[in-house]
Amino acid sequence: MPPGFRVEATAEGPVFADGNGKTLYTWPQHKLRNGYSGEAKGTPGCYDEVLTVTAGLMSPYPPGIKLPEIESRLSCMQLWPPVLAEAGAEEVGDWTIVERRDGSLQWAYDEQPLYTSIRDKQAGDVIGGTRRRYGGDSPAMRVPAGPPTLHPPGFAVRLTSVGRMLTTDKNAAVYSFDGDTANSSACQGECLTNWHPVLAPALARSQGEWTLLERSAGNRQWVFRGKPLYTYELDQSSWSQQGSDNPGWQNVFTQRAPGYPDSFSVQPTLSGDVLADSAGKTIYRYNCGEDSADQLACDHPDDTQVYRLAMCGGGRAEKCLEYWPYVIAGDDEVSPNRTWTIVSIDPTTGKFAEPGQEGALRVWAYRDRPVYTFAGDKRPGEVNGGGTGEWRGQRNGLRAFWLRDDYMGGIL
Amino acid sequence: MKTKQLLLITSLTTALCSASSLADEGMLRDGKIGYVMTDLFWSVYQTEDASQECPRGFNDGPREQFEELFPYHEGLSVEETQLKQEIETWHPSTEPDGFEFLEVEGELSWGLNLDGEVGPNDFRHPDGTPGIDNEVYRAVGCVIGFRGPDGVEYIFQNKAIVDERYNRMMIELSGVESLDNDDAVTVTVYRGMDRLLTDATGSKVMPGGTQRVDRRWGESLIREVNARIVEGKLITEPMTDMVIPWQNLRVPSIQLIRDARLVLDLTETNATGLLAGYADVDTWYYQLIRNDSTHHLSNGQISGISLYKALRRLADAYPDSETGDNTAISTALDIKMTQVFITHPKPLGGD
Repeated sequence: MPPGFRVEATAEGPVFADGNGKTLYTWPQHKLRNGYSGEAKGTPGCYDEVLTVTAGLMSPYPPGIKLPEIESRLSCMQLWPPVLAEAGAEEVGDWTIVERRDGSLQWAYDEQPLYTSIRDKQAGDVIGGTRRRYGGDSPAMRVPAGPPTLHPPGFAVRLTSVGRMLTTDKNAAVYSFDGDTANSSACQGECLTNWHPVLAPALARSQGEWTLLERSAGNRQWVFRGKPLYTYELDQSSWSQQGSDNPGWQNVFTQRAPGYPDSFSVQPTLSGDVLADSAGKTIYRYNCGEDSADQLACDHPDDTQVYRLAMCGGGRAEKCLEYWPYVIAGDDEVSPNRTWTIVSIDPTTGKFAEPGQEGALRVWAYRDRPVYTFAGDKRPGEVNGGGTGEWRGQRNGLRAFWLRDDYMGGIL
Repeated sequence: MKTKQLLLITSLTTALCSASSLADEGMLRDGKIGYVMTDLFWSVYQTEDASQECPRGFNDGPREQFEELFPYHEGLSVEETQLKQEIETWHPSTEPDGFEFLEVEGELSWGLNLDGEVGPNDFRHPDGTPGIDNEVYRAVGCVIGFRGPDGVEYIFQNKAIVDERYNRMMIELSGVESLDNDDAVTVTVYRGMDRLLTDATGSKVMPGGTQRVDRRWGESLIREVNARIVEGKLITEPMTDMVIPWQNLRVPSIQLIRDARLVLDLTETNATGLLAGYADVDTWYYQLIRNDSTHHLSNGQISGISLYKALRRLADAYPDSETGDNTAISTALDIKMTQVFITHPKPLGGD
């Protein structure tokens, strides 16, 4: 990597960072309903222009409608400062340099121009964007850039709400068994009906955390961190956790997600497990991306609150507090990590409160964004608010905080 | 090569013999037979040109309403236009929206006489039976998206019944002596957790598949009800509240049907007929709009804003104890099921 850059360990895995430790992001091109947004490789598209009208990239609303709060709206470049290359900087491997419209030079990785986020405050923050999977109707997201995951061919790592899950390259979950060791497998005979060892090709060699177990002559099973790996015959979907219902078996993660607050609970639903507050009420996250050419996020307390207030309370802050109350942190609770934090919110605006502001609420936030419960959920395990808002809650709405889904095809 | 061919022929013969033995044994075993849902539509009685039920045409959807409301949207803000409409959608009211809503005007409807009465608002079944209660049909019958064969809801909500395991509803009949006539059988409703057995095209669900009962997440969906079989027709007693898991675009959601009853024509391989009862209005509405965004609704000219008002206006059961407003609306769903062998895994954590 070029001088001045480094790798930071984050909640989403290793990422590239600038000299101050600030995470580097790309903005990959993303197909939307009425066209593309994001950046084509080698082509910066984030500039110091304050956009004023919608792009009509999403249906059914037409383009050309005035965006909210234009007077205080930031430009793409103000929110996402480009990582500029100094004159004379030299390209290294996948690190290349692209030219911006004004002639300045910008670093790119895998040909995707690189940016930092003003939402990130300290080294290791990944508040600006995420590596979580996003669908076709989600905004064109900013994604942390980082080194490829170190695993043999035939495997993949997927970031989920519970951690970085190890799978096959066909997205089948892989599992380990408590009774196994690096040199022995307790899964023999009938056990192999439902559990299939992940076999290594003949040329495979041990490396680092990856070793091999010879089950029989010529049959070698991959072993990760001292545990042989299996797939589960009865898994019905990608990134499944169904196999972990069998005693002694568990999914394999390269990295677990940061722990949620102790006062939270996990509740079973018709579809899987959701994160819930201390009373068992499902926790929701608010998602928002504008229908503008620069696809700026509107899900953070520093962003315009116009969209959120429309969805949660018909435009009225007091109704939002009634229908979608914040998850209030207890007086003695403290933030357990940089992912789950306690923030101070002005309930009349939805913005961060000033220090010492009277009437401010002390609420739980996930990646710096407050989380909510839904008044329409009456009992633990209800997710009646999931999918509320535009595009099933993906663009301007609320989605449940899933920890396990057995029926949604890997929405984690 | 000849050896391989011989082996193939032998295998095929064995498989065919096994299939033949299966058929000989019959699908009704130990007084039990199971069926899994493969089709579920809101019952809409349609004439060829809609002239009987929708003589004044069809309702406008979000796109048409937006154009009429905001012909000069370029001078307006997101708050004044798009968000205003989304607020009306997500925080609906019964106040008029300025658009005339076209209800079904015909006299005929599929469905059942749910309340045992014949009233002025009731439909008549095409077979002549009076007193049919189906106010959901009155609301959606002139909305293109709910009409077959190409309405967006007609296609996609039903497609999800097969595609999404979350929606895998099953019934198991027990205590059955005959599928022709039996005056006392028990029907248990379960959710399955497996993919469906299909033919080689992948599109036709075949009898003879196996489904495990979902005891991990689906316990609250289990219902048991008494029924009888009369000349091959299964008729259940009403279930107090049947919960139908029905997600379309991966937003877990449900329909809540009160006094739900099944009337199904039975064979050893299929069960076809109606599921009827009173749908909880709010659950009905939010199941629709949480799964299908305004974009999807637009493709079926479904204005959630207008439809909600119609549903509330036409609701005909379960009055709210405080306001007196009806909270449920009579409905019927066309339902098709295919025989399946139901297995019962032990519940987690014990037997």
